[in-house]
Amino acid sequence: MTEMVLQLILGGMGAVGFSLLFHMSGGKLVVAGLGGVANWALYLLAQHFYDDRVLAFFLAALGTALLAEVLARVMKTPVITLLVPMLVPLVPGGDLYYTTLALVQGDVERFADYGNLVLGEAGAISFGIILVTCLVQTVLKILALRKSK
Amino acid sequence: MEQNEQILSCILDAGELLLTAGAEVGRVEDTMARMARSYGFERADVLTITASMVVTARHRSGEILTQTRRVTRRETDMRRIDQVNALSRAVCAAPLPLEQLRARIQQIADAPNGQSWTTVLAYLLVAGSFAMFFGGSVRDGIAAMICSMLLYVLGRAGALVQLQPIVLTIVQSASMCLTAWLMVQIGLGQALDKIVIGNIMLLIPGIALVTSLRDMIGGDTISGLLGAFEALLRAVAIAAGCALVLMQVGGGA
Repeated sequence: MTEMVLQLILGGMGAVGFSLLFHMSGGKLVVAGLGGVANWALYLLAQHFYDDRVLAFFLAALGTALLAEVLARVMKTPVITLLVPMLVPLVPGGDLYYTTLALVQGDVERFADYGNLVLGEAGAISFGIILVTCLVQTVLKILALRKSK
Repeated sequence: MEQNEQILSCILDAGELLLTAGAEVGRVEDTMARMARSYGFERADVLTITASMVVTARHRSGEILTQTRRVTRRETDMRRIDQVNALSRAVCAAPLPLEQLRARIQQIADAPNGQSWTTVLAYLLVAGSFAMFFGGSVRDGIAAMICSMLLYVLGRAGALVQLQPIVLTIVQSASMCLTAWLMVQIGLGQALDKIVIGNIMLLIPGIALVTSLRDMIGGDTISGLLGAFEALLRAVAIAAGCALVLMQVGGGA
């Protein structure tokens, strides 16, 4: 439990770090940090219920992208400025490293396992973002149509 | 007549600022078209492909103008995307006079490219927290922070001599791995893998990937594919740099 809380805080700090790196400032830093925390919380929650890393990545990306779309509209800022820092805890840097390590050590089996995992994770994140973007665009179009009637 | 050319050029400047700051192609094109319309252009066709921009606009007066722009360097800068976005909103509400528009764009372009201490802080924060996030100890976090400073210095030096981004990534990743290994050897760090992973997070092209994904969904397949491929190359470069060092030191995690 303590480990999870620590991870949430660290994930949030990492998200703030990335926002700084992208020259964000002020209140958006706080939002991005909390978004990073929410992102990892979603992952932990999904992981708890489904016990599948790739599926949990997908659900977390889905929820975070939705949150970013809503927040961006509230704050009147481009979605991408919030979306990227908030998704940072999901970036599969660890598994990319272990894939490389397995390759260097000539461990074909682990290389295949980790390689698959990295591809699966990257795919899950991408699919989550794609789904939300399409959904939001469609909903906005429908709203615009109804308004113009 | 001359006036319109200047305005279109300013609009291209705004688009270029967006594109180099890492905005999606769809946003760049949309922003430019909107700005053009608010300045009395009946129709504005904008085509942006990763490294170049073309805009043809037909003014109310019947004048048709075309301008192109070659785009080279990019560096993610969300603040700049935000500022251009705000400017474009203002312009669409009420077009600014040319001189003011030019001044505003110049102001955004000239803004200091992020205080260097903020960037240093960002590197420390990212590397330190992610080393621990992935299960490293506090000592690993500190070691990761030291390595991240090396990444920062190398990044600055690489930009100074205009090293190819891919080569720079390999150099950064290899020297970072080596330093992390040294940290473990002298007893400061404990887990080589955690220290390296914290720093890999700094190198990984997350933004490029997300942007190119959103490009592809937006129908800008060419830009999306180019971006995704660049991101893939970067990831391979990171892995190659690490592999170079790990092969020598064995990489005992």
